[in-house]
Amino acid sequence: MNNVEKYEKVFCECFEISSSQLKGLKYQEVVAWDSVGHMAMISALEEAFDIMMETDDIIDLSSYEKGLDILMKKYNVKF
Amino acid sequence: MSNSKLLAGKTALITGSSKGIGFKMVESFASAGADVIACVRSSSDSLQQHFDFLAQTHEVRVNMLCFDLMNEDEIKQAMHGLHLSKTRVDILVNNAGTMTSALLGMTSIESFKSTFQVNFFAQVQITQYISKLMMRQRNGAIINIGSIAGLDNFSGYSAYGSSKAALMQFTRILSNELASYGIRVNTIAPALVDTPMAEKMGVKAAEGIFSRSAIKRITKPQEIAEIAVFLASDNASIINGQVIRADGGM
Repeated sequence: MNNVEKYEKVFCECFEISSSQLKGLKYQEVVAWDSVGHMAMISALEEAFDIMMETDDIIDLSSYEKGLDILMKKYNVKF
Repeated sequence: MSNSKLLAGKTALITGSSKGIGFKMVESFASAGADVIACVRSSSDSLQQHFDFLAQTHEVRVNMLCFDLMNEDEIKQAMHGLHLSKTRVDILVNNAGTMTSALLGMTSIESFKSTFQVNFFAQVQITQYISKLMMRQRNGAIINIGSIAGLDNFSGYSAYGSSKAALMQFTRILSNELASYGIRVNTIAPALVDTPMAEKMGVKAAEGIFSRSAIKRITKPQEIAEIAVFLASDNASIINGQVIRADGGM
């Protein structure tokens, strides 16, 4: 599984959505992406990519695309 | 499992481990079978020797971790080090603290800030990192060391008491936020404990506090450490979000 697939899998499993719903997805646009779901997703991302995210980045991760950007720029995850 | 090995197989991170309650906690947790990450501001040979002795005696690991609670970057580096070394943390004891005592008009804002940094903000920062590790494990126990000064109204403790009150309310809120991950959060609120911090208060002030308790004696660090061991253990699995007064009956 490549990193994009891993990233998508986290979103799909945490928010119980299909991969077709991911593009453009923003925080609180689906029921499961509330604050509790957000922290569960962060925990899953940290585990999937073996990283420890800073609080500022956790707050900034407000969309599917923003998350890709943060992981690439701040945590050297290659997509 | 024997009562003396309540924490076998668990790892506890304890802040403020170089003296006072934290120093005794390292001993009690090791004695209960836990590996201990003993957090201190600075290392010393005698402290290292003591931790090595505890490790050998109780057949556990006692590793010293140095960082300054006044320095956010040092805390961050220390927590990242734990992540990089894949260290599991089952128990977090936010024990480190600093005390200032003066009437409000004689307490500078800088004194308030530094007291809150050590007694509250640093504990929050550590908890942010460690609770995320615990969330992944879906298990954990966090024990904050509060104070009756955060519950009762002792003149001269506006900075210290307020910082401890903040920590205790933090406990209550966090216990709700983290319960679904199997993480329990509790506070122990001691009265006067026989530590170097208490010595700074002076005899008269100290006697004034413990004379209010039904037991009428100063608390031993060991007594607080044993409560922490219990709260960290599975024997306390239903205790969450509580502030346990350890004051001899005030």
